[in-house]
Order: sequence, then C-alpha cells, then structure tokens
Amino acid sequence: MIKLRGIAKSFGKQEVLKGIDLTVEKGEVVAILGPSGSGKTTLLRCINYLEKPNAGEISIDDFSVNCRKPAKKDIHLLRRKTAMVFQQYNLFRHKTALENVMEGLVVVKKLPKEEARRIGAELLEKVGLADKLDAYPSQLSGGQQQRVGIARALALNPEVILFDEPTSALDPELVGEVLAVIRKIAREGITMIIVTHEMGFAQDVANHIVFMEGGLVVEEGPPKVIFQAPKEERTRQFLARYTSDSAYSI
Amino acid sequence: MQLDLSFIWTAFVGLLPAVPTTIRITVVSVLSGFAIGTFIALCRMYRIPVLHRAAAAYVTVIRGTPMLTHLLLIYVGLPLIVDGLAERFGWAFRSVQIPMIGFAYISFSITAGAYFSEIIRSGLQSVNKGQLEAAHAIGMTTPQALRRIVFPQAFAAALPNLSNSVIGMLHGSTLAFTVSVVDIFAQAEIVATTNWKFFEAYLAAALLFWGLTILIERLTALLEKKVTRYNRGGVA
Repeated sequence: MIKLRGIAKSFGKQEVLKGIDLTVEKGEVVAILGPSGSGKTTLLRCINYLEKPNAGEISIDDFSVNCRKPAKKDIHLLRRKTAMVFQQYNLFRHKTALENVMEGLVVVKKLPKEEARRIGAELLEKVGLADKLDAYPSQLSGGQQQRVGIARALALNPEVILFDEPTSALDPELVGEVLAVIRKIAREGITMIIVTHEMGFAQDVANHIVFMEGGLVVEEGPPKVIFQAPKEERTRQFLARYTSDSAYSI
Repeated sequence: MQLDLSFIWTAFVGLLPAVPTTIRITVVSVLSGFAIGTFIALCRMYRIPVLHRAAAAYVTVIRGTPMLTHLLLIYVGLPLIVDGLAERFGWAFRSVQIPMIGFAYISFSITAGAYFSEIIRSGLQSVNKGQLEAAHAIGMTTPQALRRIVFPQAFAAALPNLSNSVIGMLHGSTLAFTVSVVDIFAQAEIVATTNWKFFEAYLAAALLFWGLTILIERLTALLEKKVTRYNRGGVA
C-alpha cells in the first residue's frame, strides 16, 4: 500500500502542490486526471523523488520517508521500490532495447548477466518486441520505445509503476499499442499510478480516479462515479468534453 | 638557397628518435588533462561549494594565458616551491632531481585540463536530463548513473572537439624545447644547425607532425564509429 500524506512542493514562489493526500491499495490502478498545470506530473515525480517535495510523507508498506529531512539512503530505497515510465521514454540511448531492460537488473539488483538477459528477453517478448532485442532506441518508433520503457520498469519488479503521460508524445496510431500493453500488465495486478489525458483509457483501466486542479485533489473515487456522477462542478466541467465523446475506444 | 630534397629524408630519419618523447608528452598531458578536465567540469556543473569558484578561476586563468607561460612559470616556480618545502620539512628530495620532461608533463597537463574541462562540460550538458532521471528512477546512485549512462554519451558527443584538442596538445608539445626537452622540434633544431639546412629540417618536422596528426584523426574516426554506433538509427 502506498500512502502520501500532505505532499507539498513549490518551485520558488509558485506553489505547485498544496498538501496532497493519497492512498493507493496494492494492485490498484490509479489514474490522475486534471488540466495542465494542476500538479499531477509533479506529484508523480515526487513519489520517486525526481522532484523533492518540501513537506509531507511518502510510505510504501511499512517503509516511509519524511520529506522534511529525507536520508539519502531512504531516497535510494524509495527509488528501488518504484519504477517510472516517462512521457519522453528516456531510454538509455547508447544501449540496445535488451540492455535497457537489463541495466537495472545488473547494476541495481546485481543479478548475473545471464539471468538478466533471460528476464529482459522475456519482458520484451511480453510487450511485443521479441524481434527488437538488439535495436537501439534510435532505430525504434515512439510506440516501440515506450514499450521498451515499460519492460524496463517491469524488470525491476517494483511495488508500483508510475506512468507520466505515457502516450502524450505519440502519434494517434501508436497510442493504441502502448495502451494495450499497459492494460495487459494492469490485469496482472501490478500497482500503477498513471497520469494521463486519455480519458477513455483511464475510465476503462483504472479502479480509482483522482481529479486534480491547482495543486489540490478536487475529487476522487471509482471511475463510474467520477465519470458519470461527479460531485464537484469543476470535475463535471473538465470531463464534459470527454464523456460526450463516447465513441472513443481502442 | 637551394632546396636539398634528399636531405629532407635524412632529417626525417634523424628526427625519428625524438618521436617517443613527443608522443609521451602528448599522451601524458592528454590523459591527465582529461582527468583534471572531468573533475573541473563536474565541480562547475554541480556547483560544488567553493570548488566550483576555484574551478572557474582555474579555467579563466589558464585559458587566458599562453601555454608557454605555464611551462616557464612551472619551470621557474616549481623548484622554488619544492626546495622551500624540502628545506622546511627536511626532505632529501631536491628540485634538481625533477627530470626536465617532468616540467612539461606538469605544465601541459594543467593547460590541457582547462581546455578539456570546457569540452567535457559541453559534452555532459548535451546529454538529455531525462537520461539521468531514468537512471535514478531505476534505482541507480548518481555516481553509477554518471559512469554508466551519462559519461558514455557525453564522451561520444565531445569526441570531435576532444580530438581537436588532442591535436592541439600534440602541436603544443613543441614548446617543451624551451626547457631543454628534446622533442621532435628540438631535434629538428639540432639537425638543422649541425647541417646548416634549416628549411629541410623544418619541412621534415612538419611532415612528421602531419603524419602524427593523420594518425590521431584516423584513431578518432575509428573510435567515433564505435562510440556513436547507437546514433545511426532510422528515426530521431
């Protein structure tokens, strides 16, 4: 179980997160929605300390980090318990698809190379890239790169995978293949927190929706409630455009 | 004046014994310059307290003064410091025991460090910030991430400029003759004055340096092919 308590973050005078509380149960898929600038990506990046929160507490099961005075060791441990899929994929450009997946296994988890290779090949097959093991990121399409990114995250066997707008940099034809992979791993019961603008996908794959605006959680609940009967006027407004577009499907 | 073509060859052969000295000075100054430059670049990029200011001062002072002055200042100043310290702490070591080539090693390393630091800094900065973030996200420590993810890409990006500077250090190494190190150029002087054939001897030295430069160019091209293999994709 992942618990965020009072996460606050400012960039200079700009208060981006104003004390966020969030609980994610094991195996849950949480989608964070909200307009641009609402702080959803910053929140996600705080969870693995790519952004340093100014205050609050992050706990995963019985391990917790006090954001006011985090130990270096704790930040490292937090990162080892989480994995992230980036909007811009951020694959290691000088490593092949297989090496990208193996890197964390060999360097962080200290697995023998042979075993890492076996796991890497398995995972790449799972995301449909069995024939691209030796391709460099520059030889792959955006959708393929993002699927390698997902395999790289899966390899670490993390407590939670954080998805930061995983399809925002893709052209519409490639969005489907990436969402299909995320959907597939969601079904396996891996805990995920997804920041996305794909409303249809969020509604369909998430068990829990969080709607954010202005650095605060405006409303949260099961997708049925949020999409069909939101309590807050702002949520209704934001979702209006998407709910009317019921033709959306993948 | 008559150009004695055959003497160019004679001089060329006469210069060969000095080639190892030139190569040694170049290799030592390039390698230690690379180490110093990396350290300086990291101090500046991570704005390490106090050190980053010292690093910035080092770069502007060294780049702001000719390589020859570094050599002469070290040549004159280092013995003063060494002997002063030796006297104070009762060491048996005296500055006369420093070989002449040692002054060239030290001063050219200092010179190279300043130039290399800027090349390395540009290389490091050309690596997308997302690479470091991705490395952190999979649980790597910053040193691991720098070594395994950032440095290899920064090196690939900096290689053309680095090779430029290596060539610069090769040519700059000729200044070592001012502290009585017999490198290729000093040897050319010797060959020229003993035979009274300056033009031929200098031409032979020029040819030899050109040859060494071509060698560096070839080696860099091979290295570049190897370290930028990942960039030759169809996309991006």
